[in-house]
Amino acid sequence: MQPALTNPLLQIVLAAILGGAGLYLLLPKPKFRWVSGGIALTLAGIGVLGLFLWTRFGQPMLSSTGDGFDPIASALFWFFATGATSFGIVLVTQRNPARGAIAFAFVIISTCGLFLLLAAPFLMAATIIIYAGAIIVTFLFVLMLSHVKGPSDENDRTREPLLGSLAGFAFVGLLLFTLHLSSPNATPAAANESLDPLLPTSPLDQNDRRLLTNAIRQCDEALAVTDWNGFKEPATQAISSLDSFFAPADRMPVEERTRLSAADPKVSLFRKQTEMLAERKSDVRPLLGALKNETEARKAVQALRNELVVYSGNGKLPARNVANIGFMLYSEHLLAVEMAGTLLLVATIGAVAIARRKGVPA
Amino acid sequence: VISLWHFLAVGAALFGIGLVGFLTRRNLITMFLSAELMLQGVVINLLAFGRFHGSLNGQVFGLFVVTVAACEAGLALAMFLMLYRRGKSLDSGDWQSVRESGISPTLDTVPLPEMSAVEILPKLPVAGRLPDQATFQETTRV
Repeated sequence: MQPALTNPLLQIVLAAILGGAGLYLLLPKPKFRWVSGGIALTLAGIGVLGLFLWTRFGQPMLSSTGDGFDPIASALFWFFATGATSFGIVLVTQRNPARGAIAFAFVIISTCGLFLLLAAPFLMAATIIIYAGAIIVTFLFVLMLSHVKGPSDENDRTREPLLGSLAGFAFVGLLLFTLHLSSPNATPAAANESLDPLLPTSPLDQNDRRLLTNAIRQCDEALAVTDWNGFKEPATQAISSLDSFFAPADRMPVEERTRLSAADPKVSLFRKQTEMLAERKSDVRPLLGALKNETEARKAVQALRNELVVYSGNGKLPARNVANIGFMLYSEHLLAVEMAGTLLLVATIGAVAIARRKGVPA
Repeated sequence: VISLWHFLAVGAALFGIGLVGFLTRRNLITMFLSAELMLQGVVINLLAFGRFHGSLNGQVFGLFVVTVAACEAGLALAMFLMLYRRGKSLDSGDWQSVRESGISPTLDTVPLPEMSAVEILPKLPVAGRLPDQATFQETTRV
């Protein structure tokens, strides 16, 4: 490979210029539309962008141990990323809006593949369902409103295609340049070795996770039983799991395993969460003793369980995606959920009010 | 374990493509789809950061973005319907008449290409048996 082609700055500039020029040629306009040349240039731009990512940052999906990469997931990433960008270009440059809507459906499917790679199965399903509906509605609108035969102003003219492509791709080039600057690895060879010196990995290891998961399960068992003895036994077990998590016999305690300075915001957040968990645990312990106050004890165990879910989600995403998103939505983001519901209601009322014919009673 | 920068680059590319579409295209429906493309780029960024930090907050934010996109779709399509009733066109350039006073309108100078005058008819395949050439010519002569 030529050494000039592996220069990241040159690659960024080349990708932006090729993409912008190709998009300019592809955008519908009465003069200077050259479809085959535009397709070739945009494909070359996407290729150079992929080359930049590959030479600068290595493979997209690393294996769970951190050495080497996951070949299947990486191949899937390249596939979906290429699909999303190419169909996005088709959507933007297509003269026929109905075909544009179909290209948008393919963009949605490709980005949903990326969502799965990002461990978001719930959002993937939600996006497919919501956008599939939205695309069908858009499609109906296209069929209903846009029945022009032959060239028309709205489909065959664009507003300032040259300046628009320039603005868009100068923007993309600047973003890529910022990515290039912000990445910690100076050499591409190091990119796969240590991914994140900027951000520490979670200090929780396999053993910690096992103890935390056990504690969550025991809390669940305790809360499922109405009998006091049946409640007390698993709750006590959960407390002892947490005890061995906080003070392991064979290793350093979890607070001291955070290798980086306490001034690091992520580490200090982790410490604060650890303190919160210890506090919840100490809330539960006296309530399980001789003093029998069942409602208080249940409330404390429930609080401990909620704290555990949030805490053990720290570091790696929990496998129970839907349950944990639901928990997050209705605990930490309750106000935002209410706001979103209100927004939807207001938007529905507004849409009805706008689309209603004047003079015709609703 | 993911490499964050790859996903950020894909999000940036989608956002840029959608930006170009929104700035240049004149069909209201295509403009709307381009805006949705930009939102998809943003959601990819949110999810990538969430996965990278091991926090579900990114996915929750993504869910809210989808909610806002749904509101936007409803309102935008209602407005398109109203604009279409008034102007019988989806061209955003028709609405220059609501520009500020003192700003000259943007006029399209280059004419659109004409549709070809000759209507292209479909070619039908020959069906049935060809008539015998000799008898055919005799009968036509009579």
